[in-house]
Amino acid sequence: MMSVLNELEGLCALDGISGDEGQVREYILSQISDKCEVSVDPLGSIIAFCKGKKRSGKKLLISAHMDEVGFIVRYITDDGYLKFSPVGGIDPRVVFGKRVFVGKNKIPGVVGGKVLHHLSGSEKSKAVPFDKLYIDIGADSKEQALSAVSLGDSVCFEGGYSDMGELLCAKAIDDRAGCAVMIDLIKEGVEYDTYFTFVVQEEIGLRGSTAAAFTVDPDFAIVLEATTAADIPASQGDKKVCQLSKGAVVTFMDRHTMYDKELYALAFDIGREMNIPVQTKTMVAGGNDAGAIHKTRGGVRTAAVSVPCRYLHSPVCVIDKNDLVSVGRLTRELSKRIMEL
Amino acid sequence: MEIFDILDTLCKAPGVSGEEEKAAGAVMKLCEPFCECVYSEKNGNVTATRKGFDKSKRTILLDAHIDEIGLIVTDITDDGFLKVAAVGGIDRRMLLASRVTIYGKEPLMGVITSTPPHLEKDSKDLPEVGDVYIDTGLSGERAKELITRGDKVLVENELTRLLGSRVTGKAIDDRSGAAAIIRTLEMLKDDELNVNVAALFSSKEEIGEMGAKTGAFGIDAEWAAAVDVSFAYVPGDDKEDCGEMNKGAMIGVSPSLSRELTEKIVNTAKSKNIPYQLEVMGGRTGTDADNIAVSHGGIKTVTVSIPEKYMHTPAEVIDLDDIENTALLLCEFIRGLE
Repeated sequence: MMSVLNELEGLCALDGISGDEGQVREYILSQISDKCEVSVDPLGSIIAFCKGKKRSGKKLLISAHMDEVGFIVRYITDDGYLKFSPVGGIDPRVVFGKRVFVGKNKIPGVVGGKVLHHLSGSEKSKAVPFDKLYIDIGADSKEQALSAVSLGDSVCFEGGYSDMGELLCAKAIDDRAGCAVMIDLIKEGVEYDTYFTFVVQEEIGLRGSTAAAFTVDPDFAIVLEATTAADIPASQGDKKVCQLSKGAVVTFMDRHTMYDKELYALAFDIGREMNIPVQTKTMVAGGNDAGAIHKTRGGVRTAAVSVPCRYLHSPVCVIDKNDLVSVGRLTRELSKRIMEL
Repeated sequence: MEIFDILDTLCKAPGVSGEEEKAAGAVMKLCEPFCECVYSEKNGNVTATRKGFDKSKRTILLDAHIDEIGLIVTDITDDGFLKVAAVGGIDRRMLLASRVTIYGKEPLMGVITSTPPHLEKDSKDLPEVGDVYIDTGLSGERAKELITRGDKVLVENELTRLLGSRVTGKAIDDRSGAAAIIRTLEMLKDDELNVNVAALFSSKEEIGEMGAKTGAFGIDAEWAAAVDVSFAYVPGDDKEDCGEMNKGAMIGVSPSLSRELTEKIVNTAKSKNIPYQLEVMGGRTGTDADNIAVSHGGIKTVTVSIPEKYMHTPAEVIDLDDIENTALLLCEFIRGLE
């Protein structure tokens, strides 16, 4: 259990918004390069081929994405404030008053706006839209701001990894959790020859996986993700989608993919046989790289195995450590059984 | 001590209104080299009197509040989530997906819950403070062991340097005022003065300036200066409602303040070439000055405010040079009192 958690802690400390995954890529390469054949494709995704103890006639791909949601600096005002756009789906309500880091030199800044005391009634109860927010890095002029940052600089939420007992909290668990599980699988060694892809640009439209899956040309794929758990008192019943501490999430359908029925059933069979907690999502919501991978070339039989995660796409993603372990155990067995189908 | 370090020491200490003991402790440690310090259990205030108090001399009172806005636990659900109420003017815009510290039997980490955008049709409306839940990660049973109703909750952020002399953090409102006063006392430590100097580090300002009301009563002062933060201009605001960063302290001009004393401090700034700006208000000031001025039969009071951005968020921004210039202004003002 410790190894996958250590991997996750290391990965969540890194910054890598979509299109700027270099830091994450370098770290992952440093972890796996001596364990498998690795290459980096033209978009920046890692394609890793791991030799197993056995061969089968089938080609399996396991994939997770390296990028996280964040922002990009698109304009600097004359008085030194940075205007920005979200990169990936970010709720504007989780942005105001947060601390961020800008660019390669991690220049600290805060997301600000007009003071509470000067807001009109309706302004107090509405999220500030992105075009009215800005980042304050302490600059008084455009010139001073430009001495520290540039247009196009990536912006990340301040992270911090907190142990909450059974749970843990960090930024970018979506999808460093998937990356951590894959690194762990690679380090332990695989039963059958397996391809792994650590892909870029999932959050802006499944772009890295589109290219990487074409290159790998698999028969089967397992996508490892962090998926929305809304098991908070504000949602009830099916609206919770999935729940922390109830195991790995295997999805039958989301907004991009109708998953392979046989693999879906197989995952639950494995769960029962091996006593691994497995649950599904009770809403058809969200989407992940499976949306691109299952349509690759002539089609790929695809399953998604996810860790349930609260407050996805915010600086405070929360998961249960045991669920991450379940994702790892289920994925290991599922990958073996797929080869034996 | 560097002004950053003074402010950092003060901002680190938790002090939600009504539970200022830790903030009081930090203040006393910083003041003790120059003052006799007393913490009052009765009202949560720290009174620091400059060494060499002389009963035959008149006293100037410098006030800054040491409480900060926060949340208070009102209920604990069976599945370990907390419901909270606001202590002071909480900005609803900064609540969701904030990391918090819950001051239960031990400090605990929590997260203010938010529904992810994938599931929201409209993500424009902000919830009321009373409608959010805090995720403790604990079972209901364990949460109820460690946390009780009335425990305080803070969104914490370590004081951090931005570009130039700017810093960001939580509770800069009004620990920066306390820092300016501590700096003033430090600068005056070897001075022979015509007056006594007493500092009131007051509690419960954010819930109605209560500490200043009881604290000022205990000090028989002739004059008082309430040192707080005030609004600095940011894009989207009206320039006429704001001061400016890095232009020195904002000296209050208001019917509820002493015109005579206001003129005196303005003249001090002019003659000593210390930067300042004016903040004109139409009546009450919304600071401890409102209570101090009518305390103890009436005290001639001024406000001296440090311009601050994003007040009442964990991302408050202040300029260290403005704190230093505020201290310098107070220092020269006190030196000029007869």
